[in-house]
Amino acid sequence: MSTEMPRILVVDDEPGMREGCRRILESEGYHVQTAEDGLAAIELFQARGDFAAALVDLKMPRMDGIELIERIRKIDEDVTALVMTAYATIETAVQATKQGAYGYIPKPFTPDELLIPVKNGLDMRALSIEARQLREERERQLLEVASERSKCRTIINCMSDGVLVVNRSNQVVLRNAAAGLILPKCDSADLPADSSTLACPELQDLIEDTLASGPEPVIHSREIALGGTPYMVNASPILERHQQATGAVAVLRDITALKELETAKSMFVSMVAHEVKSPLGAIEGYLNVLLSGIAGDDPDQHRKMLERSLLRARALGAMVSELLNLTAMRTGNFVIKRVPLDLLDLVATTTESCREQADKKEQALSFSCALTVRNHDVLADKAAMSMVFKNLIDNAIKYTPAKGHIAVRVDYDRAYVNVTVEDDGIGMTPEDTDRAFDEFFRAKNDKTAGIPGTGLGLTLVKTLVETHHGRISVQSAPGEGTAFTVSLPIAE
Amino acid sequence: MNETPRQTRARVILLVDDDPDFLEVSRHVLEGAGYQVLCAASQEDAMAKARESGPDLLITDLMMTSLDSGFALAQQMKRGPEFRGIPVIMTTGITARMGLDFTPRTEDDLEAMHVDAYFEKPVDPALLLAKVDKLLTSPREEDTK
Repeated sequence: MSTEMPRILVVDDEPGMREGCRRILESEGYHVQTAEDGLAAIELFQARGDFAAALVDLKMPRMDGIELIERIRKIDEDVTALVMTAYATIETAVQATKQGAYGYIPKPFTPDELLIPVKNGLDMRALSIEARQLREERERQLLEVASERSKCRTIINCMSDGVLVVNRSNQVVLRNAAAGLILPKCDSADLPADSSTLACPELQDLIEDTLASGPEPVIHSREIALGGTPYMVNASPILERHQQATGAVAVLRDITALKELETAKSMFVSMVAHEVKSPLGAIEGYLNVLLSGIAGDDPDQHRKMLERSLLRARALGAMVSELLNLTAMRTGNFVIKRVPLDLLDLVATTTESCREQADKKEQALSFSCALTVRNHDVLADKAAMSMVFKNLIDNAIKYTPAKGHIAVRVDYDRAYVNVTVEDDGIGMTPEDTDRAFDEFFRAKNDKTAGIPGTGLGLTLVKTLVETHHGRISVQSAPGEGTAFTVSLPIAE
Repeated sequence: MNETPRQTRARVILLVDDDPDFLEVSRHVLEGAGYQVLCAASQEDAMAKARESGPDLLITDLMMTSLDSGFALAQQMKRGPEFRGIPVIMTTGITARMGLDFTPRTEDDLEAMHVDAYFEKPVDPALLLAKVDKLLTSPREEDTK
């Protein structure tokens, strides 16, 4: 409340009364304004409107005190109205208070007889204003609490992980939408629901263990399969002031993707081991045959066997380097030396280096260029770029049946050189296309069966392209073919 | 049933593997021991060559175009009337440590796989020859069944 003294309006048609009241009130420090009738009073109210109290004569020309009180209370309902009258009767007093007057001062009055009801009325006003403010404040807080709660509920409900809350009596008291989907039997039960509605002994055990845990906040984790999907369930006790658990909250996370990655990784290790063992076995076989004398005496035959061994050893070495490259790139140890590079020349050379491979499958491997600007150098590492395009063309040859077509095209748009490697091979489904660059991912179907690969080539390509501030995109459809486009910024 | 006197002609062994070097090495080993060797690079190729020449024994790799091409081939051979008496030796580069363990531990395992012997690559030439010899000379239980 303002520390300033309240303003009081005195309305009386008798100048003597007006001045008398003013003097009494001003002697107490109140700010006083006067009006000679109701209309003048209302004008003052409308002009300033911050009167704390109005002392109103009951009998006035043009507008009587009761009507005036009614009207000023419409402008400001907090104003303390006091009626002054010489015709003090119970009826008028009742009528005035009905119109919202706080009190009633019979004329004539002593200064105290005026000041005491004024002071009381103003105190009352202050109290009622404060009470209203408190009420408003409380309502606002309640509203906030309510919206905070609904926010929490909305957040919990929108979580992709399933959330379950169980009380001390082992009843489900909360489940979010995801939990409902994972546990359909629990979803259809009314809350609180017995934990048996979870219909999963493993999950029930986990929750019971959690409820039984001591005052230490421990997370109980277990991998549980629900409806054929693997979930990691993390349950923690709800603890209040280090007491025994008053309940438990369990979060259910679908770990299908993680499991797939895990399987893919161990498959990858198996595959690498197999790929390493095959050439080693071949080399060992040749050496065995040569040393044991089974190979006979023909030096040409011996030479052939040694040459094959060398070839296999080199292929093995190349594979090991590819693995090391990827690991180095992953750990940031791959050294890239970016120099101005004529990409057109590099792509043409790389395409030619793959020709023998394409010829073996009687595939048509073509190279075309639509570069019209003179400067189409890119800032790039030559070995890295060779690796990128060799990999893409190798893939096209591998995943295109015999007698298919592979087109390598170079063009540019403003700041980029684009290299597209397009084939009319087996193509990929949209799902496989989305994952084509994923580490260890290999499309699996009857068409890809038997095509060797590590599932690392495209990961390597994408990492290299992005290291050069370029981008790679893919378009593919099953049975129609695949097109990879690499875009690299032209050097300034 | 396939008992031809050994002296009249060399026994024919059908060797199946998608690795040309393994074929080459094994061919030398087997030819060195006096066998006649036919090579095939896939299950289809192997069946065609088997029908053409009626081999006395089959040695096949396990993982070729698909993970279990060798099993499929063995099954195809043992189930059909033409080649059911022919012994099959399976060779593979897959080991238990790779997470895929096909190693048979009992005679029943071998029978379930339609295989008479199982070797992990690289195969010791002496062991391979001993096994081939044994399978081709001793009449096997399966023949009498």
